[in-house]
Parts: sequence; C-alpha cells; structure tokens
Amino acid sequence: MTSILDKLNAILRRDLLTAIRHRSGFVVTLVGVFTELAAFYFLSRAIGPGFRPGGVEYFPFLMVGTGVYTFFVMSAQAFLSAVQEAQQTGTLEVLMTTSTAPAELVVLSSISAFAGNLVNLLVYFFAGVAVFRASIHANFLSCVGVLIFSLAIALALGIAAATLQVAFQKGSALLWLLGSGIWFLSGTMFPIQSLPRPLELLARAVPLTYAIDGMRRALLEGQSIVAMAPTLAALAGFGLVLLPLALAGLSLSLRRARQDGTLSFY
Amino acid sequence: MDRVVFESVRKIFRHRPALFNWLGRERGGETIALKDVSFSAGCAEVVVLLGPNGSGKTTALKLISTVLLPDAGSVRVGGFDARRDAGAIRRQVGIAVATERSFFPRLSARENLEFFAALDEVLRRERAPRIKEVLRDTGLEEQADTLVMKFSSGMYQRLGIARALVKRPSVLLLDEPTRSLDAANTAHFWTTIRALAGQQTTVLLATHNFAEAAAVADRLLLLHRGQLLANRPVDDGESADALRSFYFRMTGEIDEAMLKV
Repeated sequence: MTSILDKLNAILRRDLLTAIRHRSGFVVTLVGVFTELAAFYFLSRAIGPGFRPGGVEYFPFLMVGTGVYTFFVMSAQAFLSAVQEAQQTGTLEVLMTTSTAPAELVVLSSISAFAGNLVNLLVYFFAGVAVFRASIHANFLSCVGVLIFSLAIALALGIAAATLQVAFQKGSALLWLLGSGIWFLSGTMFPIQSLPRPLELLARAVPLTYAIDGMRRALLEGQSIVAMAPTLAALAGFGLVLLPLALAGLSLSLRRARQDGTLSFY
Repeated sequence: MDRVVFESVRKIFRHRPALFNWLGRERGGETIALKDVSFSAGCAEVVVLLGPNGSGKTTALKLISTVLLPDAGSVRVGGFDARRDAGAIRRQVGIAVATERSFFPRLSARENLEFFAALDEVLRRERAPRIKEVLRDTGLEEQADTLVMKFSSGMYQRLGIARALVKRPSVLLLDEPTRSLDAANTAHFWTTIRALAGQQTTVLLATHNFAEAAAVADRLLLLHRGQLLANRPVDDGESADALRSFYFRMTGEIDEAMLKV
C-alpha cells in the first residue's frame, strides 16, 4: 500500500509540475471556464425564466450538466493524450520496463488525470455560483457520493480509451463517440425525458446520464444520500461492471502489443 | 551461474498493411528479427551484441526487458520466464534505450530520475543519495536541475544511462549507449561498465562500435539478419581492428574502409 501511494504521489507530482510549467495553461483554462459560463448564462436569459427543466432554473441545470460532462471527457482526453505522447516520445516502452505492473501504472496515471480535472470542475462550479449567481442548494455528502461512484466509471472510460489507443492507435475514436453521441444522450443540455421514447431508453443505458442527474439532484436540489440511493446504486453497478472489463481489455491489449512489437506505434 | 538465458528464441514482426493498400505501397509479409537464437550471460559478465542495422540486437534487448515477448523459445532472467514472470524480471533489469527523448520534457533531470526511481520501487530514503551518485557517474551533476527539454543528444543519452542505473539492476541492458557521447564521456562510461561488472552486474550492450566492444566485452555475440553467427570470448588486449576483421570475415560484408587502404 505504501508503495502504491508513493507511486501515485510521484505521478501526481510529475503531472502537477508539467502543468504549472506550461505557464499559459491555467490562464487559458480560466478564460475558457468564464467564456463557457457566460455563454450559458446569456442563453438561459434568452430562453427566459419559464423554462425550468426538472423544476430548477436553466442556468444551473446547464452548469452542472456541462461541468460533469466536461469533467468526464476532458479527463479521458488528458489521459489519452498522455498515453499518445508517451508512445510518440518512446516513454511508454521505458515505463513498461519499470518494476510497476503496466495495469497499475495505467490506473495510477488515470487517477492523476482525473484529479487535475476535478480541480477544474470545482473551479467551474465555484465561478458559476460566485460570478454568475447560479442558485444551488447543495447536499455535500450526496455530491461527494455521486463523485466517488462516478469516478469508477470515469476511470473505466479513460482506461478503455487507452486500451483502444494501445490496440489500434485509435483511442481518440472513442472520445469522438463520447463527444457527440453521449453528449446528446446524457442530458447535458436538456432533460432526457424530452427525447423520443426509444432514445430515452438508450439514454438510460448511458452511465454518464446517472452521474449528471445525480449531481444535479445533490447540488441543485440538496437531496439526501438516502433519497439518492437508487442513482448511487446504478452508478456503483456500472462501475463494478465497466472497471474490471476495461482493466481486462487493457491487460489483453498490452500483452498483444508486447507480442506484436506495437507498444510504441502511434 | 547463467543470469540471462536465450533458448531457441524466435521473434517475427508481421506487417499488416492498411485495408486500402492499393492506394499506397505499404509492405506486407513478415520480418524474422531473431531465428532460433540461443545464448547465455553470467554474473559479472559484459556481453557485447555486435551486428549491422536490423540484425536483431535491439530486439534481443527488448525481449530481455519484457517489452517484447518471444514467438517461440524461451527467455529467462534470474531463473524467471519472460512470459510467466515478467514482473519479477523487470525488478532485476535496467535498460537504456537508443530513443533519446524518452523523458518528461518539463521535468528536470533529477525530477525525471525521482519519478522513475519511485516506479522502480527504490526506497524513498535511498533515492536522493542514489540519484546523486548516478548523476555524478554520468557527469550530469551540474545539469541536475535543468529541464530535460533543454538537453543535448549526449546529455539525454547520459540521463538514459543514469535512469537504468538508479535501480541498481542485476542485469543492465544498453542499446548503443555511447552513440552521442564525446570521447571523454565515452572513455569514462567504458570504465563505469567494467566497474559494474566488478560488482556482479551482468551487462548486455548492443553496439556497432568495434572500439567499444574491444574496451568492455568479455564475450561477443555476432548477430546478422537475425541469426547468431558467433558467440566467443574476447581476449584481453584484443584490438578493435581484430574485431573488425572478425566481423567482416563472419558476415561476408565488404569493408570499404579497408578497400581504400
């Protein structure tokens, strides 16, 4: 356990140092956050106060939907970029010769990618509330519960993207699918009840739908952890299925790449 | 006792052209990188893998490091099989690859070494003194806190060697380790290699450089088109010219430098 924490610390430190030495990175992220929130703020004003999806104002509805969605996609993107960059520079092969098991290394690296984007998500919510006066009634315990259960799904997503990248050098294809199809289906911009019945059923099979819905109910409506038990159970179920599947897929793809000599292909 | 053992190892790389290959000229078929190669390397032995480009030297090193798996035969390190016990092998092996830029560019040399030392499970209290030691041994003490994106080719190469040494491996794999080094650093490096062998480290070094082979090798493996043409000891005082003559005699290649003389 000490060894794992020590490795996680080394990976977090590497990523933090790399991030702060890209001096313009933080400024660009902050400008992006404020621009996006401003766009949603004025969009919700243009639509008017009469549109209250799920009984909440539209601006905070958009803020939570896009915040959680961006957290998932940008985290997977950050992790995928790290794998692609490691393939291009030859670092991936060297990392695979260290004493750390490849699957352990990938999981720890993905945790680091998600930690960075969790900070972005918190900044996003803080700016939405402090600057744009988004109305929230947060139950922090429920928020933490949704985040923890969502993290397993997010990890599975990142690892699946890495698996596709190692196996076919096409991890970005999964993210493209996520960026378009899942954005449409997961209730990011509008409630899934607005979709035709078959698409609504499809939306209910997307794990991100539960993460976004859960975060809205925890952050905007202040629902208790007991009231949210079915949503948390659904998130836990997705995590329990998807995470082992993603890890098994990664293990297979790494073994295949070592057999074929394609570990550093990109 | 043999620490590294290759038994009838075969490695084939298959080329799978794209679906619409008629649009371009990507080759298909396969390349046999190693054909039933067998050899072993003992404790405290420096084994030099000599051979032209594409002869299978790097493939052999990658098989030992478990980055690649053999298609047939077996690779064993310290009694562990590369297919079944890759993790146990990786704990024993350090590798310095020919790829210069296999570092995190926005970390300093010291930070890169700290990162890899953590992944190699070097104890936290031992990290700082070990890193200081390998930075000194590779002549990088003054550049320890420089971001590696500002490094020259030779400095990258020395840092690669430092990274391989920091875990104190019992088997050290070096792929063209002095390709970008100047004369003084090369000479110092050869001394370091002999000192490591004196400390019971097994060293396998791939090179094209006859002077390097003559300076450090206890034994020579001559690879040519994936086949092991020779496996013989290198005598004390055997010159680079003698190895050069041996190489061209065995491979049947023409030594154009000698033709000019």
